[in-house]
Amino acid sequence: MIEYNRPIHQVVIFLVLSTLIGFASNLVRTDSIPWIATKLETVESIDLSSAEPVLVAISLDQAKDFFDKGVLFVDARDEGYYEAGHIKGAMRNGFLMELVFNIEEKQSKNDPLVVYCGDPGCGDSEDLAYDLKDSGFMQLYVFKGGWVEWSEASYPSEVGQ
Amino acid sequence: MNQFFKGPIILICRIVLGGIFIFASLDKIAHPAEFAKAIGNYHVLPFGLENLLALTLPWLELLAGVALITGVMVDGAAIMVILMNIVFIFAISQALARGISIECGCFSVTTEGGDNIGLQTIIRDIGYLIMGFIVFYRRDNLFELYPK
Repeated sequence: MIEYNRPIHQVVIFLVLSTLIGFASNLVRTDSIPWIATKLETVESIDLSSAEPVLVAISLDQAKDFFDKGVLFVDARDEGYYEAGHIKGAMRNGFLMELVFNIEEKQSKNDPLVVYCGDPGCGDSEDLAYDLKDSGFMQLYVFKGGWVEWSEASYPSEVGQ
Repeated sequence: MNQFFKGPIILICRIVLGGIFIFASLDKIAHPAEFAKAIGNYHVLPFGLENLLALTLPWLELLAGVALITGVMVDGAAIMVILMNIVFIFAISQALARGISIECGCFSVTTEGGDNIGLQTIIRDIGYLIMGFIVFYRRDNLFELYPK
């Protein structure tokens, strides 16, 4: 039986109550989220003609392929990392509105964009890709390997501003 | 159990801790998706479990905060506050040790570029931890509703 004056029982009550309220509120609210976060899937082939918004992960080879085709890259890391070295021609991250403005000066929202950060473990590229998708961009490709894979492959890069 | 502390210090700790935890929970309850992202940035949870935590942790903070202030199940609330702060300190320390610069997600999860983690965040949480221990090891139960 539950003894309300025992601290350990109180702890259980707190845990059960908060779990129940959390789940119940997620059932009724309009901006609910899945219980388990879904990871981005890496695609085998890239369909550039899709009319639906695209947000998928890509491999190093696919990223290089995009690079060779002149697709715009966006570096999702902090300024210091960017200046220490980034993919050649990649746009720096900053405030979202400023970034959106800068991208739109170069291309339309329907054109593909590659977003990357430091290494496969960093989440900044994914976060930024979701933000850009919310801002109306249609084709977002998250290069999960990021700067680490790119620089290890000795693909074109540059330092500084 | 040794009970060291007594007097107004307990009431002060209860109200301050309670207020802080209630305040910290509100923005996270309002924005679970953003809070899940903030948790994900710490890279401590596997398999997308950040969503489960993002849905439940803010309510735990709210309940513990309300319990501390109203004086209901204060022992349990103090233990929860102590445990949560130990987890927070661990999560922030490992992020700092690995050199990842991320937003704290401690109070607000929607402001951009505001509250980054650092040594000051850890010191702040150690302060809360000490206050949690003061409440737990209290000698008198002033203004506590339940259990008497």
